Amino acid sequence: MKLATIGVGNAGSKIVDRMLEFESRTDRNLCRHVHAINTARTDLAKPDYIPEERRVLIGDTNQKAKGHGVGGDVEIGAEVAKADLDEIRRAFDDVEIHTVDAILVVAGLGGGSGSGGGPVVIDALQEMYDEPVYALGVLPGEYEGGRPALNAARSLQSFVSKVDNFIGFDNDAWRAREQTIEEGYEQMNRELAARLVTLLAAGETDDSDVAENAMDSSDIIRTLDTGGVSSIGYAATQVEDTSEGLLDRWSSDSQRVNRDDGSQATKIKGLVRRAVNSRLTLPGEVSSADRALAVISGPPSEFSRKGIESARQWLEQEADTVEVLVGDDPREDSPRLSAAVLLSNVTEAPRIDQIQNQAVDAQQKIAEQEAVREEQINDLITDDNNDLDPVV
Amino acid sequence: MKLALVGVGAVGSRMVDRILEVEADTGRAFTRGNALVCDIARTPADGFDAVPEEQRVLLGDTHERVTADGVEGDLELAADVAETDLPEFRRALDSLAIHESDGVLLVADLGSATGSGAGSVLVDELQGLYDEPLYVLGALPSDDDGGTAALNAARALRSVVPTADSTLAFDRETWPGDPERDDDPEIRALATRVATLFAAGELDSSVVAENAMDSSDLIRTLEPGGVSSIGYASTDVEPDERGLFGRLVAWFSRSTDDDEATDAAKVKSLVQRAANTRLTIPCEVSSAERALVVLSGPPSELSRRGFESARQWLEQEADTVEILAGDDPRPRSSTLEAVVIFSNVTDVPRIDALQRRALDVQAANEEQAPNGDTSETRTTASKANETRDASAETDAADSEVSDASNANDAAPLIEDAEAVADDANE
Repeated sequence: MKLATIGVGNAGSKIVDRMLEFESRTDRNLCRHVHAINTARTDLAKPDYIPEERRVLIGDTNQKAKGHGVGGDVEIGAEVAKADLDEIRRAFDDVEIHTVDAILVVAGLGGGSGSGGGPVVIDALQEMYDEPVYALGVLPGEYEGGRPALNAARSLQSFVSKVDNFIGFDNDAWRAREQTIEEGYEQMNRELAARLVTLLAAGETDDSDVAENAMDSSDIIRTLDTGGVSSIGYAATQVEDTSEGLLDRWSSDSQRVNRDDGSQATKIKGLVRRAVNSRLTLPGEVSSADRALAVISGPPSEFSRKGIESARQWLEQEADTVEVLVGDDPREDSPRLSAAVLLSNVTEAPRIDQIQNQAVDAQQKIAEQEAVREEQINDLITDDNNDLDPVV
Repeated sequence: MKLALVGVGAVGSRMVDRILEVEADTGRAFTRGNALVCDIARTPADGFDAVPEEQRVLLGDTHERVTADGVEGDLELAADVAETDLPEFRRALDSLAIHESDGVLLVADLGSATGSGAGSVLVDELQGLYDEPLYVLGALPSDDDGGTAALNAARALRSVVPTADSTLAFDRETWPGDPERDDDPEIRALATRVATLFAAGELDSSVVAENAMDSSDLIRTLEPGGVSSIGYASTDVEPDERGLFGRLVAWFSRSTDDDEATDAAKVKSLVQRAANTRLTIPCEVSSAERALVVLSGPPSELSRRGFESARQWLEQEADTVEILAGDDPRPRSSTLEAVVIFSNVTDVPRIDALQRRALDVQAANEEQAPNGDTSETRTTASKANETRDASAETDAADSEVSDASNANDAAPLIEDAEAVADDANE
C-alpha cells in the first residue's frame, strides 16, 4: 500500500517521523507523502525525517495559541484548526493523490492539537479525496489522568465517525519500561512504527514478480472497510544467517524439503499466533473482530504456503470470522521474518470503557470546580463582613 | 513563555532585577531584558544591575506631596500619583515589546503603599491596554511588617485578584528575605521559581522536550484566575554533557532495575518535595483548581516512571483532573529541578490572617478618626494624631470616592494605623 501520512499534534508528528525512520532502515517506501501539522512551533522543530517544508504551523495568529500550542485544550485545538482550514487545505493541494492508495492521519487523543485538530483535518481530507482516510489514534494511559481521558473520550467519537477505520494505540499497554522520559517515548514510538509500517507497506511495490500469496493494498483496504476501531499485533524472528544457510546446503536435499514443509510452516503459523497473542496496539477481545488480515514479511525463501494456510485457519477460529486474509510481503534482504496482524473492528476493548468512565468523572469534577470558582475566589479575597475595600 | 516584567515600588523593582539576574545566570531566555521598573520618588533609586536606566520610570517626581522618601506609606497618595502619571507610565511601556511577549508579569510588594496603591492602578491600566494575559507576582507582608502592611495587602488583593489573570502570591512570613539586599538567598530562591516556571518551553535549550510546557499550557493553567502558589525543589546531579563518551558510559552503567527504581523514586520525591515544602504561599493544596508541573534537568535524570507517578500523586493531592506535566531537558545542568504551580488555591490561611489584622487596624483607624475618638484608643493613638491629623483627614476624604456602600467602613488612615498597631503591640 502507498500512503499519504499526516501527523497532527506532537504525538502524531513524532510517530510519523519514526515511521519514516523505520521505512528508511528497512528499505520500504510506504509514505509517499508526509505532513506534520501542529500548533506548537517548539514541537515542529523536533522531527528528524519529516522535511521542513512539510511541517505546517497552525494557529500562530490565534490569540490563545500564538504558535505555542493549545495547552491540552481540545476545544481550542479544534477551533484553531477550523480557523486555519484554508492553510491546511492548501498544504494538501501538494498531495499527488493518484500516487497513493489511502491517507493515514496520526494523532494523540489525550492532548489538544491532535485530538481537537485531527477530526478537522480528517473532514478536510474526506471532502477533498475519494481515497479512504484512516486514523491511528494514541489513547492516553490511565496514569496520564482525568483531563487527557476526557479529551480522548470526546475525540474518539469524532475520529471513529469520520474515518474509514480507526487503529487504536493504548499508551497504558505500551508504557515503556525505559528509564528516561526521552527513551520511553522513543521506544514506544519505534515499536508502533514497526507494526504500522510492516502491516501497511505490504504490496507497496509495483513489481509483479511476487508470489501468488502476496498481499496487496486492496486486501488491506478491504479488511479496514468495516469501520470501527482496529488493533495490530506483531511478532518477528531473526532468520538464520548465511553461515547457517551454508550448512543447510551441505546437508541432504531430503532434509531441506522436510524443513520447508514442516519447520517453516510451523514457524509461520507460530509467528502469526505469537503476533495475535502479543501485546496488541489496543488490547481487545480477538474474537470480537469483524475481519482479520496477517502479513508475513521477510525473505521469500522463508515463506511457506502450508504455513500461510494453517495460519489462516488458526486466525479464522481465533477471530471467529471467515473474513480472514493471510499473505506475504517479500523482503529479499531482510534479516527478519515478521508477522503483522490486523484485527479490524474490534468491539471489545476494555481500555476504551475505562477511558470513558475516567472521562465522565473528570467532566463532572471540572464542572463542579467551575461552578464555585467565582464564589470561592471572592470568599478568599474578601473578609467575612466585607469591611475591607479594594484600592481601586 | 516570553514575558514582559513590570516592577512596581522599591521591592517590586528589586525583585524584577533579581529575576533578570537568575535568567542570565542560568542561561534561560524568557524576558530577553523586556522589563520595566517604576517607583514613586523624587529621585531615582540606584543599585539595579540588570535593568538599564532607560527602563526605569519615576512616577510622581513632580507631585507636591511626594517627598524624598516617596509616598511615606500613604496608599491613597500612591494610587493618586499613579493615576495622575498614567501618561508617563504608558510612554515608558513603549520601550517594552509587549506584543512580542506571551504575557505581562507585574511584580509588587502589596504590603507597601506604593506596591498596593500604584500596583492596583497599574494592574488596572495594563489589563485594559493589552490582550496578553496579565499576571501579578505579589508579595504579602509578614507579621513583623505591621498592621498597615496587612491592610495595604488585604485591600490590594481585592483590587488586583479580580483584575489580573492570576495572582502569584508569595508570603514574606514564609520568605522573610530582604529584597533590598542584592545577595539575599531567599529572594533569589523566589526569582528561581519564577524563572524555572516561565522559562520552560522556550527554545533556549539545545535539547527539545518530549512534552514541552509551552506558554499555552501555563496560560491555560492560570486561566481560572484567583491566587496561585509556586512550589520548587532541586537536587544536585551529574550533568549529561561530557561529550559522547561520558554519555555512553552513563548509558551502559545504569541499565539495572535498581538504578531505575532509584531514579524513579528520586524524581517522585523531588516533585513531592516541591509541592509540600515552602510553597511561595502556604495553602491547602487540595483547594487548587488546576496545576502544572515541570521537571527540568539532564535528560538522563528525567525518569519516566518517576515523573508519571509524581503526576498521578499530584492529581490526588490537588484533587483536580486539570494537571499539565512537562519535561525541560537541560543537558549541561547539574541540578534536577521540579517546579509546580497550583492555580486558583482558595484555602490560604495567610490571607485570612492578613484580613483579620487589617480589620483590626481599620477599626482602630476609624475610632481615632476626627469624629470617632473613643477612650479606648485615645491614649495609644494620641501621639500619632498630634502629628498626622491633617493627612488623616485627606485620606478619609479620598476614600469616599471608592465603594459607596462601604465608605463608612473604609477610612484608612494609613500612617496612623501603623502607629496604632505598633503601639498596641508593645
